[in-house]
Amino acid sequence: MSTIIEFRNATKSFAGIPAFRDIDFTLRKGEIHALLGENGAGKSTLTKVMAGVYRLSRGQMLLDGRDITLKGPADGLAQGIVMVFQETNLVPAMTVAQNIYLGDEKMFNRLRGLYIEARQFLVGMGFQVDPTAQVSTLGAAQKQMVEIARAVHHKARVIIFDEPTATLTPEEKKHFFMLLERMKAQGTAIVFITHALEEALQVSDRITVLRDGTLAATGPARDFTRASIVQAMVGRSLTETLHGAAPREPRPYGEKVLSVENLSCGTMVRNASFSVFGGQVTGIFGLVGAGRSEMAKVVAGVLKRDFMHGGEIRLNGRPVRYRVPRPAMRDGIVYVTEDRKLDGFFETMTAGQNLLLGELSTGRNPLTPVPLRRAAELAREWGGRLRLRQISDRARMIELSGGNQQKVVIAKSLIQKPKLVIFDEPTRGVDVGAIVEIHQLIHELADQGLAVVVISSYLPEIMAVSDRVLVAKRGKIVEEMTMAEASEEKIMFAAVH
Amino acid sequence: MAGDTPQPTGSGRRVKITQESVVTAIAALLFVVFSIFLNNFLTQGNILALLKNVAILGTLATGMGFIVVGRGIDLTMVAVMVVGVAFAIWLTTLGQGFFGAIVIGGGLVTACGLVTGLLIAVAEIPPIFATLAMASVIYGGGRVAFSSDVLYAPANVAWLSFIGSGTFLGLPASVAIFLALAALVAAFLRLTRFGRFVYATGDNPHAARTMGLPTRPVLVAQYIVAALIAYLAGILLTGLVSSINTRLYNSTLIYDVLLVVVLGGISLSGGQGGVRNVLVGTVLVGILINGMTILNFSYTSQNLIKSVILLAALALDAAINPRDEQTSQSGDI
Repeated sequence: MSTIIEFRNATKSFAGIPAFRDIDFTLRKGEIHALLGENGAGKSTLTKVMAGVYRLSRGQMLLDGRDITLKGPADGLAQGIVMVFQETNLVPAMTVAQNIYLGDEKMFNRLRGLYIEARQFLVGMGFQVDPTAQVSTLGAAQKQMVEIARAVHHKARVIIFDEPTATLTPEEKKHFFMLLERMKAQGTAIVFITHALEEALQVSDRITVLRDGTLAATGPARDFTRASIVQAMVGRSLTETLHGAAPREPRPYGEKVLSVENLSCGTMVRNASFSVFGGQVTGIFGLVGAGRSEMAKVVAGVLKRDFMHGGEIRLNGRPVRYRVPRPAMRDGIVYVTEDRKLDGFFETMTAGQNLLLGELSTGRNPLTPVPLRRAAELAREWGGRLRLRQISDRARMIELSGGNQQKVVIAKSLIQKPKLVIFDEPTRGVDVGAIVEIHQLIHELADQGLAVVVISSYLPEIMAVSDRVLVAKRGKIVEEMTMAEASEEKIMFAAVH
Repeated sequence: MAGDTPQPTGSGRRVKITQESVVTAIAALLFVVFSIFLNNFLTQGNILALLKNVAILGTLATGMGFIVVGRGIDLTMVAVMVVGVAFAIWLTTLGQGFFGAIVIGGGLVTACGLVTGLLIAVAEIPPIFATLAMASVIYGGGRVAFSSDVLYAPANVAWLSFIGSGTFLGLPASVAIFLALAALVAAFLRLTRFGRFVYATGDNPHAARTMGLPTRPVLVAQYIVAALIAYLAGILLTGLVSSINTRLYNSTLIYDVLLVVVLGGISLSGGQGGVRNVLVGTVLVGILINGMTILNFSYTSQNLIKSVILLAALALDAAINPRDEQTSQSGDI
């Protein structure tokens, strides 16, 4: 079989930090190639380079044996490389046919002609989708089909799927895999990123596993087993903890602060039940789409729409239901966001002014005068405590580094004097030095008796901070273990299957 | 992640050229040029007229600035101004005392602000559409209720004629009231808890909500305050010309107000600027309008010039303070 895409010593860095490095990878004509790895292992970045979204920082990309640098996604498309993203790229208000021919319409676009053409095209591929149906009315699998039809229409030779099966039902999955087989038979090369190891073993011809941006294993699918894949994904020896932190005794259970029973909300959380105790860190691990963040956001009242479909949340034994974050904050629950730029900090203000808002937020009287120097005082006080490295105290938040921004966001929440702190991906986009400091801070909070929840999709982080680990999968907590019994393999095993 | 090494961006020790200082310079330049080349510009009568005009515009702009800082916009201000005052005057024709009528009118205006605020904060209608529609509703309601366009204030109300022709510390009373209001709003924004919340919601409404600030009450209160400020502008206007013409709603006044705010340097992307910017913008736009009037520019060409300046100011604002943060998000792994 001939090779379509080949990477040699490929490295892609963002601002000097490699997303993946020195990767050798080949994709052959007419194969299904599964790409596996933890969140942040570099899978998505690798496929985005293939599709032309990013360019390599170092190394070579070869297409049909020729050295090539794709200038952008449009260039990738022109070369027959199509990427189907997790969230579909279809226009919901248009019909199936309009979506398939999007960007390729004739000058005078006659809908009737378009529908006839589209119907023939879809039938030819064996898809049962009505070309006149509006895309927003379709199910996930049918949307997937439209995406594929669009890819085929664009004469795709390589189709990349980023977690295509995450939203599909078992029935739809079966159908989807049949599609893959058919496309493979036509000579299309398929890359698919997945977290479901069984699917990879079952469907793919070859498997590549990435770990922390490096190639952990690659080879024919028949040479792999579940265990060997998990080993390759995790890859660290058991005693090794994040950045060499010393092994420690798990903290004892304190008072039960939060208990959640059968919580359901939207399609993301289905009958989740768990408890959080004071004086210890509860780690919640789960892969993307497991519904971990949503569980936390419902508890803290952060979720914007009222999607809660049932269940009970008790804070210190008292049933609560927060529709906005303010009453939750007043009762001592704070949520430290996973996306600080979106809803974490105020970018045109200084660090001190951000901290000041934290202090002001707990009061009631709107006319309370604000001391002019208070912001600077807070910046000094917390700056020392958090080892905030600022260029100047007049620097706006947007000018600080990711680590410093995150520290300010955390401090702003701690000023609100919480009893329960929920950290959602507390070290995303943060430099290594700051990661260690943030982890220390998390430990200090638990030592002070606070109930701390750390949500993370990064296993070493969970191992470094937790006293107790909950594993989320498909909107449920499926596994609970104390740190004494937890291991990276066990956690990963529970999360993927 | 934009990189973790400290980057020297913008805020160096050099003196930054802000929009505020540029606008002040232009205003000063215009003032000097007009004083030299226009015979009637630097006369006591004209300066007095300029100041009085500026009082109305500035008062409205103070209210608008208060909203824009919180990333909103209030197009109901002129409608609230004319209908609120007209309603109060109409009450006096039914035998109500003037002061009492003004108080009752204030109640109506508060209700208007409350409804607007709820539409924006709770129904989550984008402010520009909510206030555009509310302006029509308020004005339409006024048209139905009052038979004539122009309502004359009752004569012999001492405090009203004081607003029109009295002086305070050498300033026309209307100007003194405007300055007092500006000082009050400035103090409110800078020095109170509520003021800091307004800036926070303007800077990042999502972050404000997530951290537990009372974002909805803040929004509603903002629109009520803006409506009351508009009402105050209407009372000042009535004091100056002894009547209120509801057709003012159809004029370009609301755009002049926006021009003052944007030109002064309050970004439509929220969280930045303050009353100082309103003052600077007011002075510039006031001088500009006054100069054009003396130069005998027609009403239409004046509007054209103002609109072009508004567009330029909006484009400049969009360039300086881009609303989406796409640019800084690139490189996310």
